Amino acid sequence: MAVSRVTLQTPAGVCGLFRRQLLQPSLSHPTILSTRSIYGEYKRPGQPPDKRWPWEKIRFDFSKGVEGIQKHFGLLKDEFVGRLRGPEGRPLLDHMLEQTLVQWEFRGPESLDQWVVSSDKEIGGQSEAYLKLGKNNTTCMLYGTLCSVPPRDGETRYSGYCTLRSKQTLLSFDRKRHFDWSTFNTLYIRFRGDGRPWMINISAEMYFSHNKNDIYSYFLYTRGGPYWQEVKIPFSKFFLSSRGRIQDDQHCLWLDKVNNIGFTLGDKADGPFQLEIDFIALCIDRAHTEEFAYEKFKRNPEVP
Amino acid sequence: MPAILYFMFYASLGLGTSLTFLSSHWLTAWMGLELTTLAILPLMAQHHHPRASEATTKYLLVQASATGMLLFATILNGWVEMSWSINEMKNPYALTLAMSALALKLGLAPFHLWLPEVMQGLDLLTGLILSTWQKLAPFALLMQISQAMPPTLLTILGLSSATLAAWGGLNQTQLRKIMAYSSTAHLGWSVIILQFSPGLALMALGIYIMMTMAAFLTMKDMSSTKISTFSTSWSKSPEKMVAMILILLSLGGLPPMTGFTIKWLVLEELTKQDMYTPATLIVMAALISLYFYARLSYFTIISLFPGTTSIKTYWRQKNIKDKLILPIATTATLFLLPLMPLTLALTYFYN
Repeated sequence: MAVSRVTLQTPAGVCGLFRRQLLQPSLSHPTILSTRSIYGEYKRPGQPPDKRWPWEKIRFDFSKGVEGIQKHFGLLKDEFVGRLRGPEGRPLLDHMLEQTLVQWEFRGPESLDQWVVSSDKEIGGQSEAYLKLGKNNTTCMLYGTLCSVPPRDGETRYSGYCTLRSKQTLLSFDRKRHFDWSTFNTLYIRFRGDGRPWMINISAEMYFSHNKNDIYSYFLYTRGGPYWQEVKIPFSKFFLSSRGRIQDDQHCLWLDKVNNIGFTLGDKADGPFQLEIDFIALCIDRAHTEEFAYEKFKRNPEVP
Repeated sequence: MPAILYFMFYASLGLGTSLTFLSSHWLTAWMGLELTTLAILPLMAQHHHPRASEATTKYLLVQASATGMLLFATILNGWVEMSWSINEMKNPYALTLAMSALALKLGLAPFHLWLPEVMQGLDLLTGLILSTWQKLAPFALLMQISQAMPPTLLTILGLSSATLAAWGGLNQTQLRKIMAYSSTAHLGWSVIILQFSPGLALMALGIYIMMTMAAFLTMKDMSSTKISTFSTSWSKSPEKMVAMILILLSLGGLPPMTGFTIKWLVLEELTKQDMYTPATLIVMAALISLYFYARLSYFTIISLFPGTTSIKTYWRQKNIKDKLILPIATTATLFLLPLMPLTLALTYFYN
C-alpha cells in the first residue's frame, strides 16, 4: 500500500502503519488477525467491531449498586451458614451415602432460567431453537428447526447447530461455583428424543486461556418414539475436544470442578427436532472401575 | 519419565535443601531454595493433565514471588546493616519482609491459599514431597531468624494458621486438600513455639513429617484421593485402614498417639511463658481439626459403606511388594509417645 514520507518520519505514523497492515482485512487474504482475535473476544462474522470505550459499556446506577451489595452479602452469609452444615451446604453423611443425585430437573418456569439456548442464528444462520416446559411442568422441551445453509458473510463455511447449555452458577461477588461430582462416576439422564444423535458436553474449570475452549463430550443417541429413554454414561467415556476438534492428547475428566453441561445437535440433517428432558442426574456405579476409556498413545516411545 | 531424570530431580531436591541447611550467607540460602523449587516442577508436571500444569504454574509463581521477596529483604538488610549473614539479620523491615516471604513459601496463614489448590493437582507422591521435604529449607531459615523477629508477629502467624486451616479443612471431601490444610495447621503449631523453643518447633515439624508420610503412603497404597474412595477401601486392606484411623487421630493430636506430643509440649511451653490466651485459642482451633479427622476416621472404617460385593475382602490383590517405609512411618506415628521425655531432653540440648 502507498505510504507518504511524512507518515514514515514519525513513530506514531510507523506504528499506525503497522496496525493498519495487521488489522485491516485485505481483499486477497481473509483476516487472520484482528483486535478481537488478538485479545480473545468473540466477534460475530460480518458484524462491525464494538468500538465503545470500556466505561461506555457499564451502566452506573446507585440503586443497582445497593441491590448488588444486598445480594452478594446475602449469598456470603448463606455460604458461611452452609459451611457449618457440610460440603456444598449439605451434611457430609448425605454426601457420603447418596448414590444418585438429581442435579437438574424441570419443575417450574424458574428452572428454565438456569439454561441458555443458542443456535447458529448468532452467526447469521437460519436454525431456530426454543426451550419451554413440557406437559404438566415436569420436563423441558427443546425444539426448533435445523438448517445447515451457511450464512452469506464470506467467512463462515459450515452451519447448522443448536445447543442447550446450563448457565454458570455463581457464588457471592460473582465467583464461579463449581460442581463437585467426584463422588459419582456416571451421568444419568432421562429423556425422550426424535431419533437424532446429540452430543453431551461437559466443561470443567480451566486455568489457562488456551484451555478455555476445552470440552469433554460424548454422544447421546435418541431412539425416538413415545417411550422415555434412560441413559447412564460413565464419565470415563467422555473424550476431550477443543473448539470442536478432538485432541490427540486425551485425558480423563476431573470431576471436582465442573462448570456446566450442554447438549448440542449438529447432525447436518435439516428439519425440525425436539428433545424432552426429564432430569439430569449423577449416580455411582460401583461395578464400573474403568478410569479412562481411551488409549493414550505414547508420543515419544522408548526405543528398546 | 526415564529413571535417570527421576534421579536428577530428586538429587537436585536433596542438593537444594542441603545447600540451604549449610549456608550462612543469604545468597547461597536463596540458591538452595530456588534449586528445590525448580527441581520439583518437572515432577509436578510429569502427568500431562491441565490440572497438573495448573498446579505447577501456581506453585512456580508463588514460590518465585516468595523467593524474590526474600532476596529483596536480604539485599535491604545487606545494604542497611552491611551484613549478609543469616544470623545477623537485624533490620525490622527486612525481617518482616523475610518472614512474610518464608510464610508464603511454607504455606502459613494468611499466605496459605495456594497450597490446597496446588496439592489437589498433584499425584500423592509429589504431594508428599511438597508437604514434607519442601518445608525443611524455609523452616531452617525461619528458625535462624526467629530470635530477631517480633514475638507478636510469630504468635499471630501461628494462631491464624491453626485457625484458618481448621476452618478451611472443615468441609473438604478431597483428601489432598485435607492434607494441605493439615500442613498449614501443624506448621502453625511449630511457628507459635519457635520464638521460645526452636528445638521444640523442630521436633514438632519432624513429628508432623512422619505422620504425613504415613498418611500419604497409606493413601497411595489404597489409591484413594477422596473420602468416598476411602470409605470403600476397607475391603482392599482392612489392616491398613485400621492403621489409617489411628494415623488420622494422631494427626488430630489425640493421645496415646505420637501426634499428641506436639500438642502437649507446645501447650506446656506456652503456659510456662504465660501465654494463656494464645494457648487457649490454638487448642480450640485444634479441636476443629480434630473434629474433621475423627469424622474421616468414622467414615473410613467405623461405618461400613455399601459395596458391590457380598464378600468381605477382595480375593485378588495387586501384586505389590510392600515397602518398608510405610510400616516404619506408621509405627513412628502411633507408638512414639512414651519416648516423649527423651525427645524433650533432645530439644533442650538443641536450645
